[in-house]
Amino acid sequence: MSPFKLVGFFELIHGCTCCRNNKDINIKHILNGLFIGLLIWSSPANSVDVVVNQSVQLQSLSTKQLRRIYSMRQVRWADGSSIQVYVLPSQHKIHQRFSKDVLRIFPYQLDRMWNKLTFSGLGVGPVEVPDEKTLLKLIAETPGSIGYVEKYSEVDDVQLIKIDE
Amino acid sequence: MFSLLKLMNKIWFIAFQIGIVLSVLNVVQAEPVDTHTPTLQVHGFVAQGIIDVDGSDFVNDDQSLSAELTEAGINFSYDFSPSIRAAGQAVYLNGGNRYAEGARVDYFLIDWTAYSSEDWKANLYLGRYKNTHWLYSGTRDVAFTRPSIILPQAIYFDGFRDIAVGADGAFLALSRNTDDFGEFDFNISSGSSNISKDQTEIILGEQATGEMETEKDVQASFYWRPFLSSWRFGIVGLDSEFSYKRGDNDIFTSADITLQRFMVNAIFEGEYWEFSGEGFQERFVLDGLYFDGFHRDTKGQGAFVQSRYKVSQQATLLARAEVFYADKDDRDGKELEEITGGMVPHYFGYQHDLTLGAQYDFTDNLRLQMEYHWVKGTARLTPVVNPNVKVNNQERWDMWALQLMYWF
Repeated sequence: MSPFKLVGFFELIHGCTCCRNNKDINIKHILNGLFIGLLIWSSPANSVDVVVNQSVQLQSLSTKQLRRIYSMRQVRWADGSSIQVYVLPSQHKIHQRFSKDVLRIFPYQLDRMWNKLTFSGLGVGPVEVPDEKTLLKLIAETPGSIGYVEKYSEVDDVQLIKIDE
Repeated sequence: MFSLLKLMNKIWFIAFQIGIVLSVLNVVQAEPVDTHTPTLQVHGFVAQGIIDVDGSDFVNDDQSLSAELTEAGINFSYDFSPSIRAAGQAVYLNGGNRYAEGARVDYFLIDWTAYSSEDWKANLYLGRYKNTHWLYSGTRDVAFTRPSIILPQAIYFDGFRDIAVGADGAFLALSRNTDDFGEFDFNISSGSSNISKDQTEIILGEQATGEMETEKDVQASFYWRPFLSSWRFGIVGLDSEFSYKRGDNDIFTSADITLQRFMVNAIFEGEYWEFSGEGFQERFVLDGLYFDGFHRDTKGQGAFVQSRYKVSQQATLLARAEVFYADKDDRDGKELEEITGGMVPHYFGYQHDLTLGAQYDFTDNLRLQMEYHWVKGTARLTPVVNPNVKVNNQERWDMWALQLMYWF
């Protein structure tokens, strides 16, 4: 691969144009590029789709926001309405993917947070449902609810949420 | 039964106060207008095990294999509105000599979410609340939430379980989320509690006929998780006062006891490895008890470091080292032996424990846990004030335990 092609590659994954403008490769950008490249390589994009009830007035959520919601640190939407969180069982492959790839937290960490809330009286954890079908049905019926599925389909009466990095 | 009625009385009184507070402070954040449906959540757990102690009265005096390793509980949470929730938990515990056997109301409270936004959350809990300030204190009886069957006794001394587990009063929790510095949690609680006759005997011995009471228990904790980090750090402060009123034909006199504790802790949660540690220094001031005018002011110290490794999604291994000194200025206990005229051996001045353990998850909510402890010293055995030197006649002792646990 020629240096120019390398610059193009780093520009693509790093999102900057300074390498091309300077006609040289900054070592910091190479490392950043490799790191981001690794992230892209290790976490398949759109591995899980986040869905909400039609009443939720949002098109996108950031990883940070999702993490706050799923760690039960944010319990209301921006308009003040309650958030109802649904999850699949801890060992479910879609839950594992959602936890690691989207929230970037290990499933056992989520379990610990929820168990602490539930068994110390400090709060409530999310509602666990056995499968995707039940989850979609509950999200369609429950105002303010949020959940995740492997692949969103327009036939489901729910709203897809874009995840911003 | 009487204490339950007293608790109910307290709760009603507190509920009345909440009504007044809410009507005054409802301006803080208006109740969200949404189609809220009250929901009830019920969860529970049950754990039964066997434990064998060789060389101390940690579980029973005859040191035989024991099934006194039972923990069961059921809890509910009911949200009346997006801001007001009621919650309670009852537990049954049997740990032999470790703590008083029987059922108790673990917590029973009203939770008011006073403020909630993307970045802030403020909750006020009124009633009987749990001590959630320490690393494992909030769920110390919930077997599947613990790293081991027996928690590090330096910090989670079972003899003080009923005193340390919570109180009747108010608990305020504030959480803050920032994109630059991470998550912050600040908690403060203040309350008091009655100490049962059984618990009094666990601390003072069977000869104590008087009444012990927690006059004050104020605790505060601060936790910080750097942004998207696997680390979490905490500091805790505790200030509590107890009183003892002499009973009929009592070998003890009335007493005032002050306990002040400062703790730090840290935990790292990785995909396979987990590291955690907690340490404290505790000031213990005793006025009276042995005779009128008796005064003692000592500082104890304790800490543990722990590592867990996830061999697979089902299996986890544990290794832990723990130290405890009842008096940091008398680490070898020689002074203790001297002032008691040789009645209490020096090894009652400390207790160190090396633990190895393993757990296996059969399903999402069924687990088998097992562990072995090598212990040196007897400072964390009951009764505390009047130790059983007859049974505990050796410095080194050990134990193993096995427990099966289910939760929903």
